[in-house]
Amino acid sequence: MSHVDDGALHAYLDGELSPVEREQLEAHLADCSACRARLDEERGLVERASQLLGLAQPPERAAPPPLHQLGHPRLMWRLRMPLAWAATVVVAIGFGYVLGGGTYRGGPPPASEPIRSVTASSTAESSAGPVEVAVAEHAERQRAEDAPRARAARPTARREADKVPDQAAANVHIDGAAAVPAERRLAAAPPLRLDAIVVTSSAETGRAAARDQPVATAWPIIEREAARALLGTDPVGVPGVPVRDLRRSPAGDAVVLVEQQVDSATVIQLFQRRIEVERVAREAAPTAALAPQPAAASLYGGTERLARFVGSLRVEIAGPLPADSLNKLLERARPIP
Amino acid sequence: MPEDLADVYRSTYRALVRFLYRKVWDAERAEDLAQEAFARALVHKPENARGWLFVVAANMARDEARRAARERHHLTLLKSEPEAAPGAVEDEIDASTQGTRVRAALDQLTPRDREALLLWDAGMSYDEIATQTGLARGAIGTTLARARRRLVEAYESRSEGQNVARG
Repeated sequence: MSHVDDGALHAYLDGELSPVEREQLEAHLADCSACRARLDEERGLVERASQLLGLAQPPERAAPPPLHQLGHPRLMWRLRMPLAWAATVVVAIGFGYVLGGGTYRGGPPPASEPIRSVTASSTAESSAGPVEVAVAEHAERQRAEDAPRARAARPTARREADKVPDQAAANVHIDGAAAVPAERRLAAAPPLRLDAIVVTSSAETGRAAARDQPVATAWPIIEREAARALLGTDPVGVPGVPVRDLRRSPAGDAVVLVEQQVDSATVIQLFQRRIEVERVAREAAPTAALAPQPAAASLYGGTERLARFVGSLRVEIAGPLPADSLNKLLERARPIP
Repeated sequence: MPEDLADVYRSTYRALVRFLYRKVWDAERAEDLAQEAFARALVHKPENARGWLFVVAANMARDEARRAARERHHLTLLKSEPEAAPGAVEDEIDASTQGTRVRAALDQLTPRDREALLLWDAGMSYDEIATQTGLARGAIGTTLARARRRLVEAYESRSEGQNVARG
């Protein structure tokens, strides 16, 4: 018999040779010191590999449930989730309608409506599930904006809320407790600073909101050139993420929106505007919607609106991702040629 | 049923979880998938429950990996650690341990070698591995020999720098 191959040695060590094969192999090993040495080597390898795999063990957990419990409860649970989801959507829309109706005072949004009034307030408006949150957000915004502006924003918001029930549903997950710190923030709002990182809570829970985006369907899609003209420079995006479209604010306030497709279900939005325009808008309405609000990142686990200056632009990011992911994406934002 | 599924459950559950864990790298998810596999076995009553369970588990893990890859896509844009599984507390704890290095070493194997090795480690015989992977029975020894060697070499050759980079 010629020398044995590695496969045979491993099969031997694994006890997987047939009795005949084993006998032949052992007869050879008895005569061949080279193969005996290799056998020892392979034995070491088998042991080492097994030991390494042992290091990649899941932590021990409680005993598994009895076998007979595995079938139905899980199935039921799976059915219950969508049903519960559907129920929250219905409730949220109901609340949103009542709340929106109660505060509706008519009148279209002014042409100079800043972007925040459209997107952020629509989110807050539609987060009507926990009424406290919506009310607190309202109060805060109302304080932040001058009254006619805030009122004017609402019809827009309501239309948005009706269009996007999913978004309302996502917001329902914030419990009433979140409203308390939100109200506290009212008292402790710091002076406005242009360079502050802006965090505007949209009261969503991160993963649950994965499908939901602040809609900007009313924002016309524009060409690259038009975006560049509005911004005075290249629009900003996250490198390596496909740009789905470029849009501009319907309000004519020179805000450009870059929507990027992170994956099939995830779109991030980068709202951007020239700092000069920003400053003018701010001076015109010092407490307008784009003004920084107290940091809310710790108050909500969900999607926040973070802002940063990139070159001559002020860029805000939104998307159905955790705040730290959005923050990191925003850090990577660069002018896209 | 030739095999009592309850016996298989007792004898194989842990091995199945371990097998799945080394594919999805999330202990909780591995348990969920293992239970799901048994739940399906309750319905389908397969002839060879053990082999059937591993086939189903491997398929579920593959689907899971595809889904997770999609979900992770944005994270890999952000972080320099594409192997980070989302939401796995265990992974956080493991992050600086040898387990992570074993995981990285396993990733260096070809899918077929890795599958054979994981199945062997889960207690499968050469015959069962052959059935499961489509390899010839006579090729299993060679496959395992190669898989083990690559695993050990990949593990030993990994520098400490990898762990530092994860910090």
